[in-house]
Amino acid sequence: MSLETAYILHPACRVREEAFGLLFYDSRGPRLLFAETGRLLTPEFFRGQESLHCRLLGCGAAELDRVGNLLGKLVTKGYLREQPLC
Amino acid sequence: MSNRFVEMGLRSPVNLTWEVTFACNLRCRHCLSASAEAAVNELTTSEALGLVEQIHQAGVFQINFGGGEPFLRPDFEEILQGCHRRGIMTCISTNGTLLDPPLAKRLAASGLVAIQVSLDGAWQATCEAIRGRGTHAAAIGALELLASSGIPTSINTVLTSLNAREIPDLQALAKTLGVSFRVSRFRPSGRGTDNWQDLRPQPEQLLDFSEWLGHQGDVRTGDSFFSLMPQERQGLGLNLCGAAKLTACVGPTGNFYPCAFLQREEFFAGSIRDQSFQEIWEGAPIYDSLRNLRIRSCEECQRFDQCHGGCPAVAYHLKSEMDGGDPECLERCVSSLAEERTTAAA
Repeated sequence: MSLETAYILHPACRVREEAFGLLFYDSRGPRLLFAETGRLLTPEFFRGQESLHCRLLGCGAAELDRVGNLLGKLVTKGYLREQPLC
Repeated sequence: MSNRFVEMGLRSPVNLTWEVTFACNLRCRHCLSASAEAAVNELTTSEALGLVEQIHQAGVFQINFGGGEPFLRPDFEEILQGCHRRGIMTCISTNGTLLDPPLAKRLAASGLVAIQVSLDGAWQATCEAIRGRGTHAAAIGALELLASSGIPTSINTVLTSLNAREIPDLQALAKTLGVSFRVSRFRPSGRGTDNWQDLRPQPEQLLDFSEWLGHQGDVRTGDSFFSLMPQERQGLGLNLCGAAKLTACVGPTGNFYPCAFLQREEFFAGSIRDQSFQEIWEGAPIYDSLRNLRIRSCEECQRFDQCHGGCPAVAYHLKSEMDGGDPECLERCVSSLAEERTTAAA
């Protein structure tokens, strides 16, 4: 995981906020993924215009790890695509 | 899938079934809504587009359009465009009789539509015994057209006693045509109630289907068969009824229900003509009742974690109770078959 990477949703996927965090939907299954992110990430983050570094400024190592693992999982499962910002 | 988050309550459905009209040019024997003529006072174009906007604001990911035959509604493409402009994904369930190349091209342009074409037999005679004359050829023609259009397309087959033995052939046909294969459950609602005894799959057929399904990871079932789901498919889909938790249904006149199989007065959740979509989703007593439904009679069953009591709609239609457990679940099929064999042996 690079902190300078942005993440964009796959065109077949959608995301929205729920009380527990984020709910991802993949119409190709269809399948759902429930991400207990609290308020760390918002759906707007997945437009690919902001790096993880910017989004998580001020967060501790544990939170960085947690979010990094989640994003890796979402990329592996095809919900997200990585996009270098520079 | 995590039931914990579902049970916490979602702010809106993941998807919505929208029966846009009851008008239909076919009279299929198993039709869940007994479609024939358009309902009196179906939503106007303006009302339908208003509903699309509310669905968008609520964050619903996908609308599954059905009916009736959706393409009989003159403004159906306008409603679809309203969805696609807002990024809402759509899936259309159609009998395929009204599709032609220009329409397929227009639908493909959105990139946000998938289509299910109903086909209820690999062979003409089987399909036509359920859906009527000419339906097999019309569906095959539509599937060929859609397969070449780039639209994600599937054959949708309702499993019945008549076509149960043709399911592998239907899967092979789908592969030949280059489309996906989806099997749905026959439930005793609409005209399906009148033809239930003739068309309901027998326990042995359901068990055979369950075993077959376990080896077919690419066959889709929606949420139809979680009560029959073999171990091999665990994790591929729902393991509980999603009505009022993950999904809901709206009929042609804007009346909301928990699911397409419970479109009856006693399950009425509200009308979009009287309340907002969000008010109905959050406040309808019948939705609360479904969210809190516990099938206690099934809790001791070894498969409870895999189906949580199955489909309440089937339990309601067959036993007039929502909390009695699915009468056609895997365990009950096994028991029923064992009883039959014991009786026959005696």
